[in-house]
Amino acid sequence: MGKMFIQVAKRDQLLPGRLKAIEVQGIEIVIGNIAGNIYAVNRRCGHMNAPLERGTLEGYILTCPMHQAQFDMTTGEALSGPVPHSLGNEVPPENLLNYLQHLGNLMSMIKTCDLKTYAVKIEGDAIKIEI
Amino acid sequence: MNRESRKKALRHLYQRVVEPLGYKFTPDEEIADFLLEQEVNLEQKHGIPFCPCQGLTKDRDQNMKIVCPCIPFHRKHFDAMKRCWCGLFVHKDVMNPDELQQITLSEIKNG
Repeated sequence: MGKMFIQVAKRDQLLPGRLKAIEVQGIEIVIGNIAGNIYAVNRRCGHMNAPLERGTLEGYILTCPMHQAQFDMTTGEALSGPVPHSLGNEVPPENLLNYLQHLGNLMSMIKTCDLKTYAVKIEGDAIKIEI
Repeated sequence: MNRESRKKALRHLYQRVVEPLGYKFTPDEEIADFLLEQEVNLEQKHGIPFCPCQGLTKDRDQNMKIVCPCIPFHRKHFDAMKRCWCGLFVHKDVMNPDELQQITLSEIKNG
């Protein structure tokens, strides 16, 4: 089956600076409104698959809610990797600390990949995405 | 990850922070680009874009005070110099950043 544009939302459902998750034919996508222009990228973060609609959109920069990896929403390009978290001044139990360090070591080996982008077309009040 | 794309993104993000504080990027584009390049290096190493001109310590709380743009943590000091410590940002009215000097906080306090 060839590609086709499918309506996924109405324009008034996506205000400037906002993100919205949609699912079309089993594909999870996030659409974002950047100063009136609509863009669509893969819903899952290119780092650890977190749902990106829970993140933030500052201009064209999409920030993941889990580890704050950043992406260019207009191109899908990964701009930065995860930001290391701090436990603050609290010292957790040794077992937990070891586990967290283990997770940190594993996480440092995960590459942050670019996001797949989807073509968007506006027809009247309809936002359509090419699938 | 593309360094130029990251520098552009940092410019975009910083602009929104420093503008309401009365600062702007230094008009010296060569210096601005060089400093942003160093910040991208630091971010790739530590995950955080620290000020390239202030040393990291083992104290995380102190280190968090030199995450760029660090103006809010050193407001009086930087306002007295009309620039941030590394010179990436200057007061909005500054046209020639070469006229501004780095002055230590103790020098300012001692008049």
